[in-house]
Amino acid sequence: MLASAREKNKVSCHTCGRINPLEEASCLRCQAPLHSRKKNSVQRCLALSLASIIAYIPANVWPIMIVTNLGRTEESTILAGVATFWQMKAYPVAITIFIASVMIPALKLLALGWLCALSAGWIETNPRRANRIFWLTELVGRWSMVDVFVVAILVALVQLGNIMSIAPGTAAVSFGMMVILTMLAALSFEPRIIWDNARQSATHE
Amino acid sequence: MACHFCDSLHDVELIEEGQTAYCNTCGSTLYTNRPQSLERAFAFGMTGVLFLLGMLFLPFITMEAQGSNLTTSAGETVIRLWLTGGPIISVAVAIFIFILPFLQLASLIYLCLPLLSGRAFLGMVPVTKLMQGLQSWVMVEVFFLGTLVSLLKLVKLADITLGLGFWSMIGLMLSLAAAVGGIDKLELWDRIEVAYRRRKTPNVSVEGGVEC
Repeated sequence: MLASAREKNKVSCHTCGRINPLEEASCLRCQAPLHSRKKNSVQRCLALSLASIIAYIPANVWPIMIVTNLGRTEESTILAGVATFWQMKAYPVAITIFIASVMIPALKLLALGWLCALSAGWIETNPRRANRIFWLTELVGRWSMVDVFVVAILVALVQLGNIMSIAPGTAAVSFGMMVILTMLAALSFEPRIIWDNARQSATHE
Repeated sequence: MACHFCDSLHDVELIEEGQTAYCNTCGSTLYTNRPQSLERAFAFGMTGVLFLLGMLFLPFITMEAQGSNLTTSAGETVIRLWLTGGPIISVAVAIFIFILPFLQLASLIYLCLPLLSGRAFLGMVPVTKLMQGLQSWVMVEVFFLGTLVSLLKLVKLADITLGLGFWSMIGLMLSLAAAVGGIDKLELWDRIEVAYRRRKTPNVSVEGGVEC
């Protein structure tokens, strides 16, 4: 394991990557404020994850779309939408929506909780694995927005007067909030802390 | 430089074009030497702006059902969404699909054009920060997947014809990926630093190095 910038009394700028002396307050090249590790990363990440768990519940329980068909009103939740596609035998679509709107958010929240536990030192694992999971968490987060966009397009286009119209349900907004909150949670997480812990235990052995 | 994931200190070595350096400790990508990164980012940035305009104003989709006929562009779609009871969602779509991609493309062009001739414009540092910060919030490709899914629902209800606006969206998605993915972050910051230094002392010519 190579020595970290911090052990060498250096700090790398989060914005431009320049290596600065640890005592500098702002980057010598781009003037961005310097911090060797993101501040209160575990607390912030946990708080944002908790907030998104709160938003996750209405997002799945409340209807995401309200379809009015010849005077008959039908409310559908995300899972009901997946089931409809499954019954239509559109299996790839059903699986895509299920993965993007149900699995990714849930797995992402689990991963963030696990990563926070790692950086708090409650559990231990191979830091390389933690790294890969964090990278994946950052990468897939935005794809959960798919369902919000589907609702947006359907609502805008399907306005056929009395025959059929679609209105957005309350879950659409809570779902969007949930996705944004998990993205912010991932952004506030600090993977370097896990490596600091690993370096520390390596020197103790 | 230090790894963005594990903070390991590395010396930056000159690598060949198209090659990538990985962190010794955690295996993440450190940097990639992209051939002609600024030229490409500029070219794809300009293309992207054209596609974005095309997506906003050209007919996106035509629906025919029970005698009614509807042709709409992506820009109109957002306005319709606002009017039919989804103001929050319509603002979200407008931000993630039009405003942020436009800001990203505009900042790329603002950076690359002067840097290509080694000049520095005002406020390049905040513009670069903006460009980097927007990375996770530009969601054109997610919107594209959303469009495909909703098309599958719509074909049951109406006859659908895809217009030029739809193809512009695909063009925008590809040029955004090419423009942003083609940027060599180390080179960009080095060039900015060199351009600013040259502005302060105009007679000194500085070669762009990889040291940082």
